[in-house]
Amino acid sequence: MRYAVRAGDRELTIETTPEGRFLVGDRVVAADLAEAVPGRVWSVVVDGEAHEVAFLGDDRVWVDGDEVRIDIADERTVAAGRAGGRAASARQELRAPMPGLLKRVHVAEGSAVHEGDALVTLEAMKMENELRAAHAGTVARIAVAEGTTVEGGALLIVIRSE
Amino acid sequence: MRFRKVLVANRGEIALRVIRTCRELGIATATVYSDIDRLSPHVRAADEAYPIGGAAPRDSYLHIERIIAVAKRAGCDAIHPGYGFLSENADFADAVAAAGIAFVGPPGTVQRALGEKTSARRLAAAAGVPVAEGTMEPLRDEADARTVLERVGYPVLLKPAGGGGGKGMRIVRSAAELPAAWRAATGEATTAFGAPALLMERLIEHARHVEVQLLADAHGTVVWLGERDCSIQRRHQKLIEETPGPSVDDALRATLGAAAVTVASAAGYVNAGTVEFLVAPDGAFVFLEMNTRLQVEHPVTELVTGLDLVALQLRVAAGEPLPFGQPEVRRSGAAIELRITAEDPFAGFLPQAGRVDFVRDPSGPGIRLDSGLAVPLTIPTEYDPLLAKLIAWGPDRPAAIARARRAAREMIVAGLPTSLPFHSFVLAEPDFVAGRYDTDYVARHWDHPRTPEITEGAALATALAGLARLRAGPRPFVGDTTPWSRSAREDMLR
Repeated sequence: MRYAVRAGDRELTIETTPEGRFLVGDRVVAADLAEAVPGRVWSVVVDGEAHEVAFLGDDRVWVDGDEVRIDIADERTVAAGRAGGRAASARQELRAPMPGLLKRVHVAEGSAVHEGDALVTLEAMKMENELRAAHAGTVARIAVAEGTTVEGGALLIVIRSE
Repeated sequence: MRFRKVLVANRGEIALRVIRTCRELGIATATVYSDIDRLSPHVRAADEAYPIGGAAPRDSYLHIERIIAVAKRAGCDAIHPGYGFLSENADFADAVAAAGIAFVGPPGTVQRALGEKTSARRLAAAAGVPVAEGTMEPLRDEADARTVLERVGYPVLLKPAGGGGGKGMRIVRSAAELPAAWRAATGEATTAFGAPALLMERLIEHARHVEVQLLADAHGTVVWLGERDCSIQRRHQKLIEETPGPSVDDALRATLGAAAVTVASAAGYVNAGTVEFLVAPDGAFVFLEMNTRLQVEHPVTELVTGLDLVALQLRVAAGEPLPFGQPEVRRSGAAIELRITAEDPFAGFLPQAGRVDFVRDPSGPGIRLDSGLAVPLTIPTEYDPLLAKLIAWGPDRPAAIARARRAAREMIVAGLPTSLPFHSFVLAEPDFVAGRYDTDYVARHWDHPRTPEITEGAALATALAGLARLRAGPRPFVGDTTPWSRSAREDMLR
């Protein structure tokens, strides 16, 4: 299977062989991989070069002291993403990054917003956090009313870009 | 007199910090916990632990009657409030004293005079210590604020009169910004301090936040232990503190120390306290406020002075004199503290809730870790996002920075985003390393957070480990609903 991997700002194409080798570009890499903490931390030794990799959650990875993003896609996913990735970008969903109290909604359905405009105020950890629009667009839907306690990940607002 | 048993009325790393000193002194400890804190480390660390109610602070850690009832039931002769929660609540200090229990902190009368910020400003000004131009009484309403603005001029800082710690502060740079700032500051002041009162003072641009640690006993001795520069802040809350302050020379240090002692003496201060100042680029300074408690960043002072501030707090609270005077205070080397918080530095330091399921603590020469982390541990939204404090000492500032950076890069916290990437960035950033920074530092250097560049070898290792993990399949690390196992399962479905 061939994979397209993005680690931090570097991209690699890696092919796994049935013998357990890795083909990185056109280079065969013999890597000594050891799972140090089950599901979490890996020790990786490549030609004597030792690295430590910890998976922090979602797509966040710690490697040798740095925190970066990782994205792994196999060939089929990459191909599918090229065909269907376009339409979704017109719709922007604002979700609650954490549980909290939706203290205020600063916009109304149908109102135009600019990038960086405050959409809602979410109170959590004794702090009022203003959540802002990532892109300009029109508020298509307000999913939650003011004064509601929301779970992390709850859909708050949908914005449609022109 | 000496305490036999102390009630530690707090949670997290500070509860552990206090318990550790008590244990060294042979003092028994009791603590309290809310419904959601049953598995918090302080419950396991203390000799005794008592449930006091619901998750919301007002139902537990802010519930004065319940805490005092626990202290009586457990037979405690003193209560240490830590920081936050009831530590600066004058009514609590009074109620503790009325119950015949020693309060480890200044008495209610002193807390009242310094806790209300306009009262503290009046006190400092009357003692001859400079204060920023602004209101000397709480503002009545938004119209009153507008009148003051016209007199003082822009920019100003709108802040709660009822308490400090940076909560609820808003900068106002134009008349148009006032309504929103007034609304937000009033709301946060009410949430944080139970009082909506606000004050206004002229904002000093490019200022440094420099504070002086004090100790005062009940016999009239006040000593200052040195300064801490706490200018690296987001939302007016500190992220990094260090001593000595890189911009503070011996003359300024002595001046600030003397001013701090003046304020404390004028207030009749007793116990550990901190006087906060803003220092302008030209070295002019103004009194900001006095924190009538042990501060989060007290360990940097401990590392350079060799003192145990909690031990000294207990000694003072027991009525004993300080065992040394100003001439005996010695400072050696430099220390720096990183506040590791449950906040996403790549998303405006938005607080994060979640479940920590793997932690690796840093260690080695010159490193002290005051951590409230455990595995597994659910980080709730109800309390402060501070998870741990990483403190490094070195013979000089470059050595302390090198150790702090080395240790920050050693530390791993998995399960939710933390401030660690921000700390690693700052400790290698040229302006910080050169000591050139002020309270605008985070806005200037972290407005567009940059992810670190990693080597080709590190990227390859990351990719290979990622593939190995994918192939190994989902494996719950702890429990069965960790974000990790969820994300692993989602990966497998792709």
